[in-house]
Amino acid sequence: MASGVTVADACKKIHEEIKRDKKHRYAIFYIKDGKQIDVELIGARNEEYEDFLTNLQAGGAGECRYGLFDFEYMHQCQGTSESSKKQKLFLISWCPDTASVKKKMVYASSFEYLKKALVGVQKSIQATDLSEASIEAVEEKLRSTDRQ
Amino acid sequence: MSGAVYGGDEVGALVFDLGHNTVRAGYAGEDSPKVDIPSTIGVWLDAEDDVPTTRYNIGLLAIHVWRPEMELVSFLKEGMVENWDMFENFLDHIYNNALRAIPKDHPILLTEPPWITPSKREEMAELMFEKYGVPAVYLAKNASLAAFANGRPTCLVVDSGATHTSAVPVHDGYVLTQAVVKSPVGGDYLSSQCLSHLIERGIEIVPPSMVAWKEVTKPEDTPVWKKRIVPPNLTESWNNFMIKEVMQDFQASVLQVSDVSYDEEIVKTMPAIHYEFPNGYHRDFGVERFKIPEPLFNPTTGAKAGIQPILGVGSLVTTSVGMCDIDIRPAMYGSVVVTGGNSSLQGFTDRLNRDLATKTPPSMRLKIISAPGVSERRFGAWTGGSILSSLGSFQQLWVSKQEYEETGKVIVQSKCL
Repeated sequence: MASGVTVADACKKIHEEIKRDKKHRYAIFYIKDGKQIDVELIGARNEEYEDFLTNLQAGGAGECRYGLFDFEYMHQCQGTSESSKKQKLFLISWCPDTASVKKKMVYASSFEYLKKALVGVQKSIQATDLSEASIEAVEEKLRSTDRQ
Repeated sequence: MSGAVYGGDEVGALVFDLGHNTVRAGYAGEDSPKVDIPSTIGVWLDAEDDVPTTRYNIGLLAIHVWRPEMELVSFLKEGMVENWDMFENFLDHIYNNALRAIPKDHPILLTEPPWITPSKREEMAELMFEKYGVPAVYLAKNASLAAFANGRPTCLVVDSGATHTSAVPVHDGYVLTQAVVKSPVGGDYLSSQCLSHLIERGIEIVPPSMVAWKEVTKPEDTPVWKKRIVPPNLTESWNNFMIKEVMQDFQASVLQVSDVSYDEEIVKTMPAIHYEFPNGYHRDFGVERFKIPEPLFNPTTGAKAGIQPILGVGSLVTTSVGMCDIDIRPAMYGSVVVTGGNSSLQGFTDRLNRDLATKTPPSMRLKIISAPGVSERRFGAWTGGSILSSLGSFQQLWVSKQEYEETGKVIVQSKCL
């Protein structure tokens, strides 16, 4: 069951630019008029995760958003002595508890469409408060599928 | 998406959420349902004509009437409509008296339990299209709606209602039906436990409508009251329902789930709550407050009468997660959504949190999400359906009358996932 919301082509384009060309660090999406998922903001390559979090919540406590972030971390593979940099793209749905049921409903029931539209996203995370969206929590989730 | 697209943005859809305690009905887009009608209805035989006809009393007031030989029955069984004839009368009541809406003017969204059978869904669609001539129908799983209303398309929904408590995994808004676990323990079970407990203590339970007058007495004194003169042949089912209502009030005011596993020594130190019964008998309830709901979480503590729960609520969750694919288990423990009227029992979520914390694998995070208010939990699925069906983008998902006529009733299986 889902909401029937569509995904704008701009979202797919930005996603390609992040994934393939590494042109941006992140993108923030919102649902326009309750009908279409569109791009709200694009983050430059040199911006940090903290900037992303701030922008994700820029709408205030009553707003929901989706975010796409190209996350980098150091990872040491088993049997190797050096650690290497890993890049993982993840999608996050930000639905704070303080948002109205209507907002939560629309964003929650449309997340699936965005996930399907953006091919090649490694992980999707749903967050309702900062404990789930913090850099530590996100890194833990991304690492959970790595080999030790 | 092929086929006819129904309507525009302003559709004025109706949303019906069928529950064992009450049926919630109202207009899509609103925050709470317009009406909340008991799903128990009164059935009696009208013998005034030459040919006796069966009549139905529907609605909170109508079922309280002292009508001789009126049996109170429910048309639902395990969340699914069992008696279609009664259900039709019930729908007539909602359309004609409660909402005063014309069926053919409004698309309708109905909720259904996750374990609904395909034949029941088809029957429902057939009834709505053929008898009521509605323009469009959608059947939504109540667990999905509750999940969305809490902002979590992927989560584990713990729904504790009147007749059962279930753990339902939802992934991207779709219910994983093979991993649903339910236990026949809910609000009604607690009511019966309270009743047998009180009867054991020699406390007489009288429905409020049977009390003509009562005097103020000291706590634990024999009540001084007089029974009202009522028609002699009121049925047993009527009386049981009235007593259940007293018990529901008792449950909501007195019972509390103990924070940790029930321990009489600890519980003794907790404050007691004073409760007065309709006939004027009143006393403090201390240990009982915690003892009665304990089997809900810890079945080994022994239930008194009737059904014996096998799994506690915590085990329901772990069993259900255990049946899910290993990849989604962390997501399930990471968002446990608690809903249903019975979950408003004091201490329910705290205890679930504690029980699950000990059972969750250490590598996984546990997070319990629940709406704060009683009404949000009772109406969780309804509100979800209300918002979903009012979205402009949802309108293409309805099963329209035209599609139904072209494809037949099986269309609901493919369109309402």
